[in-house]
Amino acid sequence: MLQILFDALSLGSLYALGALGIALIFGVMRLVNFAHGDVIAFCVFALLWPSTDAMAIVFAGQLPWYLLVPFVLFCGAGLSVLCEIVVFRRFRNANPATMMIASFALGFVIRYFLLMLFSSRPKSINLLPELSQPVEIFGARLPLLQLITIIATMLILIGLTVFLRRTRFGLEMRAAAENFSMARMLGVRANRVIMGAFALSGALAGAIALIFVAQTGTADIQMGAAIMLMAFIATVIGGLGSLAGAVLAGFLLGAASVVMQVMLPIDARPFRDAFVYGAVILVLLFRPQGLISARGTKERV
Amino acid sequence: MINKLKIATATVLLGVTAAFPALADDSKIVVGFATAESGFMEAYDKPATDAALIRIDEINAAGGLLGKKIEVVKADTKSDRAEGAKAGLSVLDQGADLVVVSCDYDFGSPAALAAEAAGKVSFFLCAESVKAGIQGVGPHSFSASVLAAVQGATMAEWAYNKKQAKTFYRLLDSWTEYNKGICDGFDWMMPKLETKGAKLVGQDTFKNDDPSIAAQISRIKALPKEPDAIMLCTMMPGGVSAIKQIRAAGINSMILNGSGMDGSYWLSAVPDLSNFYVPVQGSIYGDDPNPEVTKFNAAYKAKTGGDPSSMYVYPGYVMIDVWAKAVERAKSIDADAVVAELEKMKNEPTLFGPRTFTSELHHQNQTKYLVADTEKGKPAIIDSWTISEPIPLDALLK
Repeated sequence: MLQILFDALSLGSLYALGALGIALIFGVMRLVNFAHGDVIAFCVFALLWPSTDAMAIVFAGQLPWYLLVPFVLFCGAGLSVLCEIVVFRRFRNANPATMMIASFALGFVIRYFLLMLFSSRPKSINLLPELSQPVEIFGARLPLLQLITIIATMLILIGLTVFLRRTRFGLEMRAAAENFSMARMLGVRANRVIMGAFALSGALAGAIALIFVAQTGTADIQMGAAIMLMAFIATVIGGLGSLAGAVLAGFLLGAASVVMQVMLPIDARPFRDAFVYGAVILVLLFRPQGLISARGTKERV
Repeated sequence: MINKLKIATATVLLGVTAAFPALADDSKIVVGFATAESGFMEAYDKPATDAALIRIDEINAAGGLLGKKIEVVKADTKSDRAEGAKAGLSVLDQGADLVVVSCDYDFGSPAALAAEAAGKVSFFLCAESVKAGIQGVGPHSFSASVLAAVQGATMAEWAYNKKQAKTFYRLLDSWTEYNKGICDGFDWMMPKLETKGAKLVGQDTFKNDDPSIAAQISRIKALPKEPDAIMLCTMMPGGVSAIKQIRAAGINSMILNGSGMDGSYWLSAVPDLSNFYVPVQGSIYGDDPNPEVTKFNAAYKAKTGGDPSSMYVYPGYVMIDVWAKAVERAKSIDADAVVAELEKMKNEPTLFGPRTFTSELHHQNQTKYLVADTEKGKPAIIDSWTISEPIPLDALLK
């Protein structure tokens, strides 16, 4: 039972972090950023030296952890901010559908850039190997990494909450999320807030990349897609624009996925995701506005 | 009016140029590669294509085929199915007598179907689905590799007989037909082993891109006793992730897999991996029992600048080898005559194991495999095994 709880929490952490990255940007810009998954992939490949050989040449991945973690977070934040400046800034007044298409296109550009440098062959790297050993807690045996994932996610969530509630920048960001034009009129600088949101979202992508690589040992140019999909679904059932909702829904999705895997009979297990998505549809039928609807979006709909 | 005339002239000209190579056929034999030279599949197609080119060079150096030089033409499928059909037509237009198509059934079949429609012989570079051949394309289509099911069956029977494995656990990655094929072979073999005392103690599935298989691992750990062997039916890249997570959870059972996980390029992800076994057609590790294989590895390195990264280089060589033999025996490049000669092959020796083709199956449902064992992160060939009976067609088409 405890084992299931830990499994669900660790998978949910990944989805929650992903959903948070998408919700942050949606909050300030009404943009569903489909390039987010490819930012994750980019952060993973930032650990490697470009080469199309089957064998990965680990470069930045050899840094000690106290340099490695900031490096990857910075890579994610940097790329994300760059995307904002180069692409999304020009779509500031476009309608959300146009921006969404632009984000798809941007995702392809990032993915094919990686394809060019690294080829489609998945690469293997052993990141932070000391995390791949089992530990025992309250009778549940789990890999150390799983535990660290859960703790790190909690820390990130607490840190982010403090940041949003206690700092001036956080206040501006929340104000912008609630009513962007009103916030601007009251003196919130739009570019700064939006860039901040992109930087935070990119850093979250970096965090996911770190956990993902340490867990799977694999770098694949398509690796962002699966998490991106789950994270997007989490932001939708959480209530688009609601940060708390995105996190809650992320954990719920992770839990649903793990519970289905445990409960379903063997013949139905290959269709696990179909059952998970079925549950998602049910949630949306009963709460079309999401679990926790954001105040900002309600009046606009 | 003038425009219409221009179009008419152009059409006639096109027709002439298209027909021309067919007329020039007599002085040479053309092998057309409708494979991926760019995009996703390139990483899988190129190594086997290079191996095929090595065999073509050898044949040309020895005087050619039926006294004629083999000429190579290529068209890029760009890892796209629609482009694949075009690439197939393109090499046919260039006069291909043999059409070589992508490694994977889904990506290779459009070009193979184009060849079939033109009545030419087609060969999948290394597809391991039963559909890559008569069942999925037609009577002129072959695959140069071995069925995935044979890999699963080989590993199960070998582990039972040579490693005294009694309890098996089946973990299927439901992503591709290849993965399911491995487990189909395992499922076919398991009842035979169960009559001799082996036991399937549990099974589960996961998806290749699952970020975590923690729930699946918890199920294995909940067993009263760790299974002797885990039959893991998966491939890159999710396979690495699964193996890493299984070992990180402290499960030390022997892990059996298909050839898809051959190669040492991914072992850095799971340092000091031990007790891990895959079937291979030849050794890339320089320890093949047949010294000719090691010589081939050197030739491959000389041509491409790198060692083979996995055994999926080898089927390309086998393909040209068996096809050229059939052409020699038929004394013709006529497709039906070549197919008839190929179908006469029974345990035809090649550098990478014997090959058999019949009028029912243009694929291998029983052949000798070497067993590669990884201990402390170092793979080496430790044994070889041939399954006790061929896998019947109905088990393959399940």
